[in-house]
Amino acid sequence: MAGVELLNLSKSFGSVEVLKSLNLTIQDGEFVALVGPSGCGKSTLLRIIAGLEEETAGEVYIGGEYVNDLSPKERNIAMVFQSYALYPHMSVEENMGFNLRISGISKPDIKARVQETAEILDLVHLLDRKPSQLSGGQRQRVAMGRALVRNPDVFLFDEPLSNLDAKLRVQMREEIKRLHQRVRTTKIYVTHDQIEAMTLADRVVILNQGIIQQVGTPRELYQNPANAFVAGFIGSPAMNFLPATLTSDGTSSRIELEDGSILVADKRANQPSDGKILLGMRPEHLHLSAEKDEHSLKGRVDLIEPTGAQNHLRVTLAGKSTTVVDNSLTEVELGEFVNLKIDPDNLHLFSQ
Amino acid sequence: MTLTTTPNEERGTQMRAPARRRSTLRIWKKRLMPWLFISPFIILFMVFTLFPLLFSIYLSFQEWNPVAGLSSMEYVGLYNYQLALTDPWLWKSLYNTVWLAVVSGIPQHLLAIPVAYMLVSAVRGRLRHLYTATMFIPFITSTVAVALIFFSIYSTNAGILNQWLLALSNLPVLSWFFSWVQDAMPIRWLTSSDLLKPSIAMVVIWKYTGFNIVVYSAGFLTVSRDLYDAAKVDGCSRWQQFWHVALPMIRPFIFFAVTLTIIGNLQLFEEPYVLTQGESGGVAQSGLTASYYLYLVGWQWLEMGAAAAISWILFLFIAIATGVHFYFNGRKGLGEDR
Repeated sequence: MAGVELLNLSKSFGSVEVLKSLNLTIQDGEFVALVGPSGCGKSTLLRIIAGLEEETAGEVYIGGEYVNDLSPKERNIAMVFQSYALYPHMSVEENMGFNLRISGISKPDIKARVQETAEILDLVHLLDRKPSQLSGGQRQRVAMGRALVRNPDVFLFDEPLSNLDAKLRVQMREEIKRLHQRVRTTKIYVTHDQIEAMTLADRVVILNQGIIQQVGTPRELYQNPANAFVAGFIGSPAMNFLPATLTSDGTSSRIELEDGSILVADKRANQPSDGKILLGMRPEHLHLSAEKDEHSLKGRVDLIEPTGAQNHLRVTLAGKSTTVVDNSLTEVELGEFVNLKIDPDNLHLFSQ
Repeated sequence: MTLTTTPNEERGTQMRAPARRRSTLRIWKKRLMPWLFISPFIILFMVFTLFPLLFSIYLSFQEWNPVAGLSSMEYVGLYNYQLALTDPWLWKSLYNTVWLAVVSGIPQHLLAIPVAYMLVSAVRGRLRHLYTATMFIPFITSTVAVALIFFSIYSTNAGILNQWLLALSNLPVLSWFFSWVQDAMPIRWLTSSDLLKPSIAMVVIWKYTGFNIVVYSAGFLTVSRDLYDAAKVDGCSRWQQFWHVALPMIRPFIFFAVTLTIIGNLQLFEEPYVLTQGESGGVAQSGLTASYYLYLVGWQWLEMGAAAAISWILFLFIAIATGVHFYFNGRKGLGEDR
């Protein structure tokens, strides 16, 4: 097992700078998810750690060792690919034992280790099959088995669940979580699905346009997003943003929306020079309220989406369409004006 | 109970009759239209493929000199087949055909596979297309033109091949390796029974390797980059990536290209014909292939019946060779093991 450290890591493809001077330390045995929208550089970062892509600048350390000049094999990493990348002409057993075979390990040892790993992943009855004879979930387990069998220092996962249907994805997510509880090797997991990242990882790294936006535990990212991008990326449904003007005095802050309505935040916020801010409110923090006060806003209901356990309402607030998750299942009518109350602690203020 | 028709119903029936006729016409049009569209092919196929095929079967049981007209055709039963199978020239031509198929066939693939792999893995974009196109040129060049150029290359006294060998034997570093050249000169590439077949094989290799490079390049391009990455992570060297991943992945392409080579090489005609100047397969018939012999029997000796019998023997020979290839390599070659 080993930790991973990235120092001033940059990568450019021609004139396009994909990663911009990244610094990141991943502790030994930690499960870290790299999350971000398509094209943010997360897969490139993973491939650089794997040694499949060469960095333009910066240093990569695995287990304290400088590995920039080492091949993927010498780095002792294992990788699970989005497409599984199983060799179609080999059986499950041959796929899993291939890297051991290349390393020159004896046949009985390979068989024993493949058998042991197959038992962990419930693959024993599939060992003789070819990848084409397996379902998506089974292929995914074989891909993980192939990585597990070599006992690597670091596991790298490149969007491993993207090709699975929604139900299987949830099931495989649980399996990966269980696997990590059992084999506490350092794991770096790339995904664009924030739910996957939040549920699996000890810490989540949010990337956008080649820059790390924030690193933290899922709870930290949800409660204290560093900027509007992180706030909008984490949480489902996504956070609502309303342009506003902030004025602060010694004890509290006044937030004035574009339609003139006012919200009072109890804590004092840093006021930008021009006072222009983005007010962020999570849909699940907005509650329907009978009375209007300084912690509530008035809006018109435009759409009601019942999901069973809750209703998702689209409400126009200060001229902007916002989402409200109503757990109380209150009966509301389309076009009705409602008061939406929010705890001042749940207000997020970002500079515009 | 009796059924009576009201005037209205009668009128309805009368009105429905033309409608039914129209619908029958529409159905027939619908049925005939596809046949109409494919009829040009069917007509051409029947005239130029099916008829000659059936006629050649008929002909193989006749003795016929085409110059004497159709009336000279005479039924001889299996005589043509008996004659062909006891003809030493036929057996010699079949031996030459197999020899050339193997000696000119195997190197084509042994050269084309690594070259295609290097082109796909190491050369990018336009440069790769340029290289591939250059190597493909021999395939699209007229065989007669190619054979004529090689005829001059192989020329005993003025041929560039002998001149080069002489020059190499005079070079200080290489002279020990080419010391035999001085004694062997002049090397008679096309007029020595030992060298004629290898000379023909060289032309065939040169001409068809480019085609196989294109086929294999297409094959290597279908291998996903993820598989190479997985192999790198598994610790494979470049050679191991080629041997354990790329090569098994292009098995269907190898199967296809080898099938074409077997069928093509067993019908080899133009190269040996031009290089031996059409003179009965060269010295001691060492360049006589089955197709070449077939041509001699039919068009020089004007024994069309015997030629037809030989053509069916050759067909059977090619079918068996291809069948053996399918039997041993078909399952893996067609990707059924995946």
